[in-house]
Amino acid sequence: MPLVAAFLVPGSPLHYLRPDVAPWAPLARAHTRAAAALAAARPDVLIVYSTQWIAVLDELWQLRPRVQGLHVDENWYDFGDLPFDMRIDTELASACIAASAQIGVRSKGVDYDGFPIDTGTIVANGFLNPDGRMPLVIAANNVYHDWQRTEHLGALAAAQAERLARRYALIGVGGLSGTIFREEIDLETDRIASAADDSANRELLEALTGADGTQLRTACAEYAGKVRADMGLKHLAFVLGGLGSRYAGATTLGYGPSYGSGAAVIEFKVSGQTGRRGEA
Amino acid sequence: MSKGEIIAGFLAPHPPHLVYGENPPQNEPRSRGGWEPLRWAYERARASLERLQPDVLLVHSPHWITQLGHHFLGVPELRGKSVDPIFPNLFRYDFALDVDVELAEACCAEARAGGLVAKMMRNPNFRVDYGTITTLHMIRPQWDIPVVGISANNSPYYLSTAEGLGEMAILGEATRRAIEKTGRRAVLLASNTLCHWHFHEEPAIPEDMSQEHPQSYAGYLWDMRIIDLLRQGRTREVFEILPQFIEEAFAEVKSGAFTWMFSAMGYPEIPGELHGYGTVIGTGNAVMEWDLTRAA
Repeated sequence: MPLVAAFLVPGSPLHYLRPDVAPWAPLARAHTRAAAALAAARPDVLIVYSTQWIAVLDELWQLRPRVQGLHVDENWYDFGDLPFDMRIDTELASACIAASAQIGVRSKGVDYDGFPIDTGTIVANGFLNPDGRMPLVIAANNVYHDWQRTEHLGALAAAQAERLARRYALIGVGGLSGTIFREEIDLETDRIASAADDSANRELLEALTGADGTQLRTACAEYAGKVRADMGLKHLAFVLGGLGSRYAGATTLGYGPSYGSGAAVIEFKVSGQTGRRGEA
Repeated sequence: MSKGEIIAGFLAPHPPHLVYGENPPQNEPRSRGGWEPLRWAYERARASLERLQPDVLLVHSPHWITQLGHHFLGVPELRGKSVDPIFPNLFRYDFALDVDVELAEACCAEARAGGLVAKMMRNPNFRVDYGTITTLHMIRPQWDIPVVGISANNSPYYLSTAEGLGEMAILGEATRRAIEKTGRRAVLLASNTLCHWHFHEEPAIPEDMSQEHPQSYAGYLWDMRIIDLLRQGRTREVFEILPQFIEEAFAEVKSGAFTWMFSAMGYPEIPGELHGYGTVIGTGNAVMEWDLTRAA
């Protein structure tokens, strides 16, 4: 079974750079559990979709065999730098580009020294793949793609991974409720910005635990009407598209605030898998 | 110290295509030209700037997007390679710029005094956004004038357009006070496109100008209406219809630079000089100048 794991992770640099801050520590620990589960699944490649890599023209895929450098987040530069060194599965990325016309999407590879890898991808890779052992396929979030098209994109990536006989994991990188505090706060008091956001987030996490994809999609649409959902939860759409009928519920490994916004580390159950790798 | 002043403001849009079309040594990709009317418009703006001889250039860029307040570059020297995440095939630019940190700190302090959340960016590894770099290169390719770089807080998108632009107006007033107190002769650069409807696919040859035209006729008409008013100095009318322009033309001025600049200049009812207009992947771009020394 080539699909061996699937996760949603927030991509915020706050938990990564400052795990010592009490409200952020649980999410940092949840990432550690996710990383252990991912390592146990032994994927050949991580297929990453980050809401923070914004594309406008075409769907972009990273095609540089090795991307490395030092990134500084444009908002959270005070908290430290983000060095990165990632290997890219260019064969699989190229296959995704070639196949995307089948779903009516024009795709393009990027292979440039100094290309700005987004914070979310760097943080997800740093947490889940700290030694850089696993190569990645990284897909951009084209802002004009809707939920359905993004699901198709996830399905396309999964199909190409299977065609190339990869053991693969799907990683959706993005947040939940997007309302942030717009003034400086004492970090130790960070919390979800409102009770309504917190409630909606928890309802969504509850819906994710069920194994009913149709109900989940309905819950997502309702959720987007209640909160300022991060990019319409397209990172979830990508993962659900890749999971397809193998979606069998999910486990929340951690949930908490990211300067007021909602963030969660979620491990999906993949039907056909034996045993359970994560823990609540 | 004599009282500082804003001597001019420019509407100075930042499509990286203009740098690509010019082929400066700092930019890695090579082109066969393209977007000449806009690039020649910037040549006229460069000549004006040369005559103005400012101490400092202040640029407000929509591609340094911040959530927690309004941020200012606060490192004396910044250098690195800026690769446009949207057009990496066109813009891979080695930049090196000097920051007027004293003025930036004064702007930040005044913004806070005006009730805004404001921060100084002190990380020396920070990569300056391509909007800031493109505008600065196009207006002054010698890079011999210190700059103040200002982020675009996302308030017009996160809150409402009115609330967000209200913040930008306060930021403009704060900028003016800081310039006056620090004795600078300053030029403001609003790094904004007008109509922002654009094509969704790039031509095989990006500089193939047979493919370049307004993406939207309605957007083009809006651009001409706004430019015509600006050329007549009917600033108040422009700001009365600005929300409608933003809504109907998806205008990038929503991000705040245009409002910041006019607020700082005191919304002068003087004719703006149009150096040129052109489209880039269908968006409308005007290079315009308001010379406050002539108006005085």
